[in-house]
Amino acid sequence: MFTIKMKMFATVLSLIVLSGCSSSASVQLTNDFPQVLAKPKPLSAAIVFEPSFSNYVARPNEKTEIDIGSAQVRLLRNAFAGLFSNLEFVASREEITLDRAMVIIPSIREVQVSVPSDNYLNVFEVWIKYNLDLETTDGDTIDSWFMPAYGKTPDAFMASKSAAIGEAAIIALRDAGAKLMLDFYRIPTVNNWAIEERRKARQANIREVSP
Amino acid sequence: MKLSRLLLLLLTTIIIAGCSATTTIDEYRPTGEAIALNEDDRIVLLGRRDAGHYETDREFISCVGEKMKGGDIRVLPEQEFIDAIYPWFEPRTAPKGLLRLKRLMQDGSIKDEVNKLSIRYLVWLDGSTETLDSGGSMSCAIGPGGGGCFGFAQWDKLSVYEAIVWDLQDLTEKGRLRVDSEGTSYLIGAVAPIPFLTPVKSDACASLGNQLKGFFTVQSNAEQ
Repeated sequence: MFTIKMKMFATVLSLIVLSGCSSSASVQLTNDFPQVLAKPKPLSAAIVFEPSFSNYVARPNEKTEIDIGSAQVRLLRNAFAGLFSNLEFVASREEITLDRAMVIIPSIREVQVSVPSDNYLNVFEVWIKYNLDLETTDGDTIDSWFMPAYGKTPDAFMASKSAAIGEAAIIALRDAGAKLMLDFYRIPTVNNWAIEERRKARQANIREVSP
Repeated sequence: MKLSRLLLLLLTTIIIAGCSATTTIDEYRPTGEAIALNEDDRIVLLGRRDAGHYETDREFISCVGEKMKGGDIRVLPEQEFIDAIYPWFEPRTAPKGLLRLKRLMQDGSIKDEVNKLSIRYLVWLDGSTETLDSGGSMSCAIGPGGGGCFGFAQWDKLSVYEAIVWDLQDLTEKGRLRVDSEGTSYLIGAVAPIPFLTPVKSDACASLGNQLKGFFTVQSNAEQ
């Protein structure tokens, strides 16, 4: 009886140890992101979070799965609030109610992951390659902007692979927010659109004031 | 009997002496005077994370922060500052030099947030701990009759960290510190593996923290 118990204990222990050594990682990002510290421009935008984007689960390789959808929606909601004063978030283009707004449709081109056994460095790395389709409310294309984001986290002794990849993915998402804040209005076509929109708004104001 | 005890004592002393780290600190300050800090002011320690092959780890930053906390110095946790000022101190956006810091502080909302948090000085910490060299071998075996490890292994570790102090009011650099800490750790396999670890990183942290603490002098509001 004692022998059977010992064998069972040894089997359970071995299973725990082996599962701890497993090289697969399934990550779900549930954290919140801070509000951006920026003054938005007096412009309007409609952000289209299509279901394929808001429920996106990245599978960069057969052993890794990152549920990134809801986290990236939370991040982009915060980031766009620092760029536009008037915002609308919708799930499809048909739901847009704003006039004279920039329509932004984000999508993911690719997610890549690199672990210490791949890069021979003591870091876990995550790349998220976004694409932002920028259009007018009439459907004319303004631009299609490729926006790569990167995050890395150091390898820690006995730390789980999932936790390290999750942390690197969060840093990559924060980097996406930083990239957006830093470079969005530097895109020449976006800058031109913003200038034109402000000019139209000024003309509309003058027309309202004059008899 | 006496000789074997003496030998054992000698061996223990040699091993323990071998487990201490050699730490060097270089300091640069434009003036010899301590940096004045009001009792309401706070310091924030930030790690540089823009290098490709290493990261200044958060554990080290909090360790230095803890060492500095004595002597009425108030230290704001790194993540709290980075979140409050998001996204301007992310690896992509953090100012690398004073010129960029000056441009950043021209933004009213950033300056207001820094004032709201009462941050007077920002200390950048940059560096890492690396294993330089390792030698020896250790083999472990387990069988029905028991198990054990036999052999000897050793490795050298080097911690190099630099601290740069920025004044967020004057937008100037107030000083620099560099700490190098090196030491060898041993693992002796005599049935059970017996480690003799040299605390290279914690030595670097303690030295840097204590030296940085000496940079500042806290003035009460009544003294001014």
